[in-house]
Amino acid sequence: MRYDSARLADFSDASAVKQRSVFDGPFFSVSMLLLAIGVIMVFSSSYARAWYDPGNVTGGNAAYYFVRQLVFALMGIAAMLVASRIPMELYRRYAFSFLVFTILLLMLVPVIGVKANGSRRWLGVGGLTLQPSELAKLAVILSFSVMICRAKGKMRTFRHGIVPFAGILGLIVGLLILEPHFSASIIILGLGAVMLFLGGVSLGWFAAAFGVAGGGLAVLLTFFPYASSRINTWRDPFSDISGRGYQIVQSLYTIGSGGLSGLGLGGSRQKFLYLPEEHNDFIFSVVCEELGFIGAALILCLFSMLILRGFWIALHCRDRFSFLVCSGISSLLAIQVFLNVAVVTNLMPCTGISLPLFSYGGTALLIQLFELGIILSASRSILEK
Amino acid sequence: MRNLKYPDYPDNKPGRQMLRRCAVLSALFGIAAFALLFARLYKLQIIDHEKYEAMAIEQQLRSTPSSTSRGIIYDRNMNVLAISASVDNVYLSPAEIENYGEDRELIARGLSEILDIDYDDVYEKTGRRGSWYVTVARKIESEKADQVRAFKAEHGLRGVRLETDTKRYYPNSELACHLIGFVGTDNYGLEGIEARYDELLSGTAGSTLRATNAYGTELLFTQYEEYVPGQDGCDIITTLDSTIQYYVEKHLKQAVEDYDIQNGAGAIAMDVNTGEVLAMASLGGYDLNNFLAVSDEAQSLIDAAESDEEKQELRTQAQTRQWRNKVLSDTYEPGSTFKIITLAMALEEGVTSLKDSFYCGGNVSVLGRTSPIRCWKTEGHGSQNLTQAVQHSCNVAFVNIGQRVGAERFYEYCEAFGFLNLSSDPDANLSARTGIDLSGESGSIWWSKNTFCSEKNLSQLAAASFGQTFTITPLQLVCAVSACVNGGHLMEPYVVKQAVDEDGSLAYEREPKVLRQVISESTSRTVRETLEQVVGDPNEGTGRNAAVSGFRIGGKTGTSEKVSLEAQTGQKEYIVSFIGFAPADHPEIALLVFLDTPSNASGIYVSGGQMAAPVVGKMMADILPYMGVEPERNEAETEAVMPMTMGKSLDQARKIIEESGLRCRTIGNGSTVTNQLPAAGSSIAANTQVILYLDAEISQDIEYMPELTGMSYEKARETLSYYGLYINSLSTVTDAGKQTVNSQSLPAGAELEHGTIVEVTLVDQDESMLGKY
Repeated sequence: MRYDSARLADFSDASAVKQRSVFDGPFFSVSMLLLAIGVIMVFSSSYARAWYDPGNVTGGNAAYYFVRQLVFALMGIAAMLVASRIPMELYRRYAFSFLVFTILLLMLVPVIGVKANGSRRWLGVGGLTLQPSELAKLAVILSFSVMICRAKGKMRTFRHGIVPFAGILGLIVGLLILEPHFSASIIILGLGAVMLFLGGVSLGWFAAAFGVAGGGLAVLLTFFPYASSRINTWRDPFSDISGRGYQIVQSLYTIGSGGLSGLGLGGSRQKFLYLPEEHNDFIFSVVCEELGFIGAALILCLFSMLILRGFWIALHCRDRFSFLVCSGISSLLAIQVFLNVAVVTNLMPCTGISLPLFSYGGTALLIQLFELGIILSASRSILEK
Repeated sequence: MRNLKYPDYPDNKPGRQMLRRCAVLSALFGIAAFALLFARLYKLQIIDHEKYEAMAIEQQLRSTPSSTSRGIIYDRNMNVLAISASVDNVYLSPAEIENYGEDRELIARGLSEILDIDYDDVYEKTGRRGSWYVTVARKIESEKADQVRAFKAEHGLRGVRLETDTKRYYPNSELACHLIGFVGTDNYGLEGIEARYDELLSGTAGSTLRATNAYGTELLFTQYEEYVPGQDGCDIITTLDSTIQYYVEKHLKQAVEDYDIQNGAGAIAMDVNTGEVLAMASLGGYDLNNFLAVSDEAQSLIDAAESDEEKQELRTQAQTRQWRNKVLSDTYEPGSTFKIITLAMALEEGVTSLKDSFYCGGNVSVLGRTSPIRCWKTEGHGSQNLTQAVQHSCNVAFVNIGQRVGAERFYEYCEAFGFLNLSSDPDANLSARTGIDLSGESGSIWWSKNTFCSEKNLSQLAAASFGQTFTITPLQLVCAVSACVNGGHLMEPYVVKQAVDEDGSLAYEREPKVLRQVISESTSRTVRETLEQVVGDPNEGTGRNAAVSGFRIGGKTGTSEKVSLEAQTGQKEYIVSFIGFAPADHPEIALLVFLDTPSNASGIYVSGGQMAAPVVGKMMADILPYMGVEPERNEAETEAVMPMTMGKSLDQARKIIEESGLRCRTIGNGSTVTNQLPAAGSSIAANTQVILYLDAEISQDIEYMPELTGMSYEKARETLSYYGLYINSLSTVTDAGKQTVNSQSLPAGAELEHGTIVEVTLVDQDESMLGKY
């Protein structure tokens, strides 16, 4: 990448303003607090399944999932600290290389991916599994941020503001649909929209995009019975309690059982194999059951604080790239949290979206913490008042 | 290296629009989205909390029924008739087996080996997807159950389970099977007392409510467990007397064999004063412990059948037949036994008396009938008083008596005796039941009042007077006859006296219930005395074959023609019966025996007097001493007691023997009696030749019992005494030359010592006794 030393010289004139040398404390603390609660909840929600071991995975070791999650959490903290020490310039510099790498991995998935539940979403790496779609989210944020910085005032044009972005999104989403992995596609499309929105694309495009999406959805529902039956299950999950509606009905039982103050940490009854994916996509249901409305609301407040702090850091960034990356990562976090909780509470049709910092899954956690570390890195450049 | 620390240009700050849009986004993502989620959680967790919690708890709790023990059934003397023991059922939970990925082959192999059942069958059951409960074996003994438990523990198997169950045992197998009944595999009573008193016997099942995981497995640690205690079933004490039941069944079975009874037989013994059923038997019976098994005869028919369907149908038919309690489920025309009822109502109405006289010319014309009604004795009974008319079982006299009562009064008495319930609709056929506490009771069938009470047609009344053209259950007859002889009180029959709960307190008690007084005490006394003459009069009584030496017995014979069967098929079939009561002066027990369709080929004349009366006599001979009824010495001195003669001189001994009503012969050459046969104090037939030993020893040779049946009593006595064996008759001996041996206490060919006393019963097969009465 080309570098303009003259501009840099201009900037160094402002060295009178004191530079923060440490990352943002509140953001880090809230992250760690959520991570700690998340790991504990993985233990609480998973030990019944681990003990009974219906799938012959754990060998009856009740702490099986917990120990793994804990190891990844510690590794994740290390990754976060490393990320916070990498200068933003490096992220900018390698953004495209990273994007190309990610797309290559995504291309590998349909070929050598690990198959589970009818989809190929994982790559096996030395005993670990990795979802390249997780990397793709970060790649989109970083590369789009770079592209927006480059395009500058041309973002309002179709040629510079829409075409390259749509091309990248189209490629990634196309590859994801091959897996198939709809929830990741939706998140990445949403993320792309957020980035373009921040980059200054004319609002008319968004109106058009919503129109096209709405029309597509209507076509999908009319011509694909599978899709419309999903909608029916969403609207009335109790019509098929033991079939399609089972998972969401169990989730509603779990959440509803919690009441105001919950059954107490470890007190969930639904985790005894009634609720599927209880330490995974539906971990928040167990949180609601054990910690009640109060506990769930407090955790959501922590997420809200984390997200708002992420945006606050973005708004205080002095350069456009850091601003875009921080906003993007905060938005990604917000989208994932919102979609996950909306799904488990049946606000939205059921689809597999994990809850950041909570859901079991080592590499995803590692990547999430790394992303938060990038925000911490950006926070170092904020000027102290 | 380039300066990486300050990477951007001052004018490369985010633009105003960017910052504005970022602010919008942060408000949307950081606040609005969460507000929506809070609202949703509030709705689910606060507003709908109870709804979802209730639904969740419903699926999390599983109720396991805890078995309660079924009550014991006792007879009146606290002998056990039915008792339960604890056993186990083995069942599979294929869903658990699948969910936990247990080894199906291992389970099938282990269980099929332990329980001795088919491997493929078990293997198939382990794979029934989605099922939580598939029974593999029912009611296995504890030894096998322990083996299954050990097998389970050894392999840590989940999805193989045991549950406690109970199994019913009937110590007396076949005895009183219809009365006791049985339970099905689910422990519900299906027949008899087991069915009728199921609620009391079974108690209420308790249950354990516990939280389980989604596969029904217990939780890691018990989070919730609630025990709802059950109540054990009550023990039931019946009115049945096992000993009387045994005697009744024994003689009834013998009769079925002797007379080659085609269509089953039944008997009821009832306490005439309380309505308590002492014994109730219907043949053929079945083993309560194996109630599905049919008789050998039926089984061979089933084996001979070709198709499986046919086999199944034959089996079902045979089972239904053997489970049927004929004495209360079948109705029949009672025939002459019903004359007791006609007699009682006529005496009570005062339309006849003991001084009355009747003429029987062999038949009688009845208004409304083209042909006259014939008496069983075609040449007629001639002139006879009331007692003789009853003794003779004279149809002509009873047609006359019935007409004197009148059709309407006749029906009113029938209602009072519990045979029918009058209806406001004069064209309705009439019916009634006794209301006994057993299921399966049938109702009687009577002509409508309009038909019966027609002034232009007296044929129904005429036939009803001697017990034809209507049908009743044997039980109804016993109840009504009991009322006739017990002082006039119609008692409600019952089989269960008490039920005692697990704490030992009375849960149910039944007192004898007088339904109504039908006839007066004095009428009842006259009926008793008249009926005693039917049995007790050796010259004119048609029931004399029921007489038991030393006891006063009253009764009445019955030979009922199956009129409707004859009308349909032209076949003449009879039900022969006898209803007796004893002691005649203060009755305690009434006993009805009916034999449905005896074979003409048995060599015995088909009639109640020849077939049923001796059976009742034999039963009475066993039952009355058991009940503690004191025998009276009979006046005719047909029995003698062997005196002590040992040590006396021959002359002295001879004199003593003659004084005792006996004769003697001597063995040996001495002058003093050194031994005697039989032993002093033995009851033997009068005029028996006893043996006195003069300086000689009693032979130690073994004698073989001769066949006596059919011999006259006198000849039997002589035959036995020739062998040094002695005879004693249970039946009243009226004419030793004429009465023939009907049964003997020891079978022909039995090895006997000298001096053994053989008990026999007798029948009178005099020409004048052969008739359908």
